[in-house]
Amino acid sequence: MRFLKDLWRILRGDKGALIGGIIVLLYCLMALIGPWVVPLSNEQDPANAYAGPSWSHPLGTDALGQGVLSQIIVGSRPIMVVGLLAAIITVFIGVTVGLLTGYIGGWFDTLVMRITDIFLTIPGLPLIIVLAAFIQTTNPVVLAIILSITAWAGLARSIRSQAMSLRSSDFIEAAKLQGVPLRNMIFRQLLPNVGPYVAIHFLLAITGAIYAQVGLFLLGIAPISGTNWGIMINLAMAQGALYTTDSALYLFAPMAAIVILQVAFVFFSRALDSVFNPRLRVQ
Amino acid sequence: MTTYILRRLGMALVVILVVLTMSFFMVRLMPGNPMDALAAQLRAQGGLTEQDIQNRLNAVYGVTPTAPVWQQYLTYIGNAFRGDLGVPITNPGTTVVAIIAEALPWTIIVVAFALIISFVIGVAIGAAMAAFQNTWFAKVTTFFVSVLSAIPNYLVAIILLYFFTGVWQIFPSGGAYGVDVTPGFNAEYLKSVAWHAVLPIAATVITSFGGWALAMKGSAISVLGAEYVRAAESRGLSPRRITQSYIGRNSMLPMITQLALSIGFMFGGSVFIETYFQYPGIGFYLIQSVNQRDYSLMMGCFLLITVSVIIANLLVDLLYPLVDPRIARPATRKKAEVQADKSVPDEGLGAGGTMA
Repeated sequence: MRFLKDLWRILRGDKGALIGGIIVLLYCLMALIGPWVVPLSNEQDPANAYAGPSWSHPLGTDALGQGVLSQIIVGSRPIMVVGLLAAIITVFIGVTVGLLTGYIGGWFDTLVMRITDIFLTIPGLPLIIVLAAFIQTTNPVVLAIILSITAWAGLARSIRSQAMSLRSSDFIEAAKLQGVPLRNMIFRQLLPNVGPYVAIHFLLAITGAIYAQVGLFLLGIAPISGTNWGIMINLAMAQGALYTTDSALYLFAPMAAIVILQVAFVFFSRALDSVFNPRLRVQ
Repeated sequence: MTTYILRRLGMALVVILVVLTMSFFMVRLMPGNPMDALAAQLRAQGGLTEQDIQNRLNAVYGVTPTAPVWQQYLTYIGNAFRGDLGVPITNPGTTVVAIIAEALPWTIIVVAFALIISFVIGVAIGAAMAAFQNTWFAKVTTFFVSVLSAIPNYLVAIILLYFFTGVWQIFPSGGAYGVDVTPGFNAEYLKSVAWHAVLPIAATVITSFGGWALAMKGSAISVLGAEYVRAAESRGLSPRRITQSYIGRNSMLPMITQLALSIGFMFGGSVFIETYFQYPGIGFYLIQSVNQRDYSLMMGCFLLITVSVIIANLLVDLLYPLVDPRIARPATRKKAEVQADKSVPDEGLGAGGTMA
């Protein structure tokens, strides 16, 4: 409750963050109920191809005469679901590894951190592309795992450094004396103290996953099936949208959808930052 | 200092070995792996003896498919370290290394220029934002910089392509230099190269300088509040000395750490940039080989991108002690490392999808 109150106060003061939060919420609603509300028929209507904006198709139609706006709405769900799954995986691994290594220390820390460093060094996107090319999956969970293959490493390192400074604090000493088991120590004692940091990184992990995921569809590396924003841009480019003005809306509408969502996430995450970091509020 | 260098070198070698191992297992051991697939395809074509097929596979992947796995592995690693990455499936007349050797310089040119330009612009803007915080300048700049850094680079590439090669046709839409110039050290050629690199570099800079600006701003503001700055002020040091040696140098430390991380992101992002601008760098060939199912070339590109990133990281690591001497001394290393981990600002990391 306290958290929501704080969040609301900050959001009222920071218009950018408020608008960002509202937009993120709207996108979530769109992904949740959009596909049920907006009909996307499989019927093609070539007579109606590249129509301009009209009452029935507010953003015009594509090469097959299907509404661009309804495709954007239907296409939001796969993108958001995979982005969310990837962020959950990234944050879960990053936090667990970071807290364990930071708390336990010693050779365990050295060993795991060396492995983490390897993942930190390997460029993420090329690895994702290569894996996606080999695996060719349409399963959202598998795609999310591929997308988070290296993203957890940076989070693990920064969580570790926070856990290391928490380790010497009084309440951890007290818990240790009480003989609290490791599980409790990690998830009950340490986790709440890094919670804020994790929340912000969760949002940023979503934006990172959406970036990489749309990129995969854009380049046609992930299998092109169904409807999502990346596939829309891919098809628009393949149909020569760059050199005809006909399909400009079909190309730019999904791009705008992505940009607005990414910007909204970044602005909203800034508000969370000030909720959790009272120091930033004073400045 | 020597231990520090040796440690970093050792780490770089380990990462290269890990990536080589990964690529070996992906090509050779995954169910329905490319090597078996190629063998089946050659068999289906008919007219080839089993020996021919084995020879062909050997040429493409550099290993003998019938040998035990550990022997194939050792051969593969040995070949890779000798600079033999096999033959592209789609173009058996050349070698993977030859294609990569031609492509890599273009990628390095674009990545290096884009990185330097966005770093300089970003750090300058970030420092200005920190110096004039709470003014309208800082607020407006922060807004624009946050928006720009949140836009995926491939979308900026598409927009630049749309306007500068489609609508206005100012810049060329592909290639690294024009067909009418002779490669060599002459003004015409260099001009053409620069002209072709403008859009790829611009697309990268537009989306990445914002991250640097935000990171620098955060870092500089946190240094501004530090006790040693207050101490320096109360000692009556000149403002110039304080900004240069106390604030400037210390707020640059996390920037340098991030430089190492961002090199990987830049090489990753260049895959999109090069593909859209049809710029014949290594990312362009990576995507082309993926689309043509040319796995030997694909793994070669992936390996070389990784190795370039590792070498670039190594350079940053080796230069880092010049900025932060603590890192090379065993007694203070731990402290400096932990501080570096902590001070990587969140804002700069996730923006523009650089997490990936």
